[in-house]
Amino acid sequence: MTGELALRCPACAAPLHAEDRFCEACGAEVGAPAPAAAAGCRACGAPRDAIGDDGYCTVCGVRERAPGQRAEADLGIAAAVSEQGRSHRRNEDAFHLERVGERDVVAVVCDGISTAASGDVAARAAAAAAGAILAEALRDGGDLAAATAAAVHAAGRAVQEVPWVTSRAALALPSCTLVSAACRGGEIVVGWIGDSRAYWLAPDDTRQLTIDDSWAAEQVAEGRLSLEEAEADHRAHSITRWVGADAPPDAPHVTNLRPATGGRLVLCTDGLWNAASAPADLADLLDGAPDAPAAVAHRFADAAMELAGRDDVTVAVVDVDPEGAHGP
Amino acid sequence: MSRFTADVYQNEFLPLGATEVDAVVTVTALDGAAAGAAAGPIRAAEVVIVDTSGSMAVPPTKLKAARQATAAAVDAIRDGVEFAIVAGTDRATPVFPAHGLATASAETRAQAKAAIEELEAAGGTAIGSWLELARELFAGASVDLRHAILVTDGQNQHETPEELERVLAACKGRFQCDCRGVGTDWEVAELRRVASALLGSVDIVPRPEELAADFRAMTERAMARGTADVALRLWSPQGATVAFVKQVAPTIEDLTERAVAVDVLTADYPTGAWGQEARDYHVRIHVTAREAGDEVLAGRLGLVVDGALITQALVRAIWTEDAELSTRINPEVAHYTGQAELAEAIQEGLEARRTGDEAGATFKLGRAVQLAAEGGNEGTLQLLGRVVDVDDPATGTVRLKRHVEDVDEMSLDTRSTKTVRVQRPAS
Repeated sequence: MTGELALRCPACAAPLHAEDRFCEACGAEVGAPAPAAAAGCRACGAPRDAIGDDGYCTVCGVRERAPGQRAEADLGIAAAVSEQGRSHRRNEDAFHLERVGERDVVAVVCDGISTAASGDVAARAAAAAAGAILAEALRDGGDLAAATAAAVHAAGRAVQEVPWVTSRAALALPSCTLVSAACRGGEIVVGWIGDSRAYWLAPDDTRQLTIDDSWAAEQVAEGRLSLEEAEADHRAHSITRWVGADAPPDAPHVTNLRPATGGRLVLCTDGLWNAASAPADLADLLDGAPDAPAAVAHRFADAAMELAGRDDVTVAVVDVDPEGAHGP
Repeated sequence: MSRFTADVYQNEFLPLGATEVDAVVTVTALDGAAAGAAAGPIRAAEVVIVDTSGSMAVPPTKLKAARQATAAAVDAIRDGVEFAIVAGTDRATPVFPAHGLATASAETRAQAKAAIEELEAAGGTAIGSWLELARELFAGASVDLRHAILVTDGQNQHETPEELERVLAACKGRFQCDCRGVGTDWEVAELRRVASALLGSVDIVPRPEELAADFRAMTERAMARGTADVALRLWSPQGATVAFVKQVAPTIEDLTERAVAVDVLTADYPTGAWGQEARDYHVRIHVTAREAGDEVLAGRLGLVVDGALITQALVRAIWTEDAELSTRINPEVAHYTGQAELAEAIQEGLEARRTGDEAGATFKLGRAVQLAAEGGNEGTLQLLGRVVDVDDPATGTVRLKRHVEDVDEMSLDTRSTKTVRVQRPAS
């Protein structure tokens, strides 16, 4: 029924052994992995017809990946998408995206802590609460740094009110990460707690705006490990600060940016930066194509699902153009 | 065509790095599996093997009961079934007919019962030679279903264990054999070995007078089976290992060693003939750990009925970082893991008791009481109560009884593998 017989030459369908590089029957090269693997099994490289009707590879058992459900918002100059990871039973990421007037934008991205109770509800509550405060500040012309601190504080209160039940595994209180951006003209104020990130992608200026509150970032900051070493460690994703009832009481990190030229602000959860952590790698995922924010956000989500895919991925993209906008 | 269904119970979510996949598969043979429901009446052969060694005369009621039981079994054989009666001592002797098998009718049944009346007890015990004769008798029959009943009262003293093993190997797959021990001088492990190799049951018949009813029931059950030859077929992926395949209900029976390779990734596990019934299987497969979010088919469990593959069930594995998912306990897997531990605790506890290890026996039998109470094994709990005094079933606090009847100890040992099915809340 299956077994080694399931490996067949793509050219003549003669049976192959797993280690064969050339087909013994027709001489076709069968060891070349890339094109065959794309069409066949992504795990063992068995040809397309080795994958059963139910989607499982008949050689190694690995299931083909099916496209997931994606939540999205498209506001023209800004867009966000969120997709549930394959190892999660619900999307524990959330975003809030709102346009104020013609050019001003609020974006908030949160990642519910999956080892805590009700991480998905916490993330939604935090994103909504923070988004409302920042939008109000944009409308009222308030100070954006102060509004960012107030927004994160409001998010913390909202998360504290999330109802939760204990279960065997969910021992921690509801909690999440948060990264926010308030964009007014050429002024961008970013706030964060945890390991959700903000990046600035411009033709000559591509960089990460945030520093993770994580074990990995601490190791790098204290010079104990290189970035690669730290991110390869199983503790890399342990976060040191979060939003929630049991969170350390410190204020959020806040940074501002006044870009001279236009660029793209990207907020994302670790579902995206797991696939491309370095700013240049993230920019490379776009292949230099000048697309609208919605297309860019989808492209990032596609890449994250293709390259990593296990975790939920959420990304918000805001096009910032200081010259086209009303000046500061 | 027989109809079967297979249902899988498992928690398919594994923590990262985990490689062990557990599933319970319930296989149910629907009405079509009963005799008479098939296209034509199933052709069957039945051989009854009666121990007539010298010890069967002590006390004389034992041989008398064996005669009556064999006669009762003969009465239960349907017209048209091929049958024979064999007397076993240190060799096997055909009792009826003199050669080969007879076709059941009112006349041949009467002749068989007359021959059974003449049985006398003398000589030793060589179970292998009895089975060997049964195998030869079945080999000459052109039938679908071959079933034997073997009753003995003693240990296999007149041939070596190696000889018995050799015969069992030759008989495997040729016929099924239900085994019964009368009195308390036979050895549970030995008879369990025979029954297990020949896909049959083993039980103790404490009182000789109960033998007739048991024989009649066994014969009727064998005759009611309408599907002669069923095997589990398990595919597992390249690089995976099948840790075990166990029948866990109605009794525990490890099938792992019975695997017959079909191809490099697939093996068949023979389960014998089926009537209208349900059996549960616990499968454990070790697979290669994958990335979070990856899903792997760890096993594809099918049924091969009379050579045709029907009804497939999927055993899956999905790796996740979400501990709430991966730590969920599947009630079926937990229940049968407990039932298997219960059987082991009883057998090890009794062994410890036999070797004078009182502390070990108390600990193991206490654990058995606890598991039986948790699992709802009322029958087993009663049998345990004749071997230990139970202070608290919840914690497994027990004291060994000073005096235990042999028959109680052997009943507990023999029936230790009998399980109860998982309790499902009524819908």
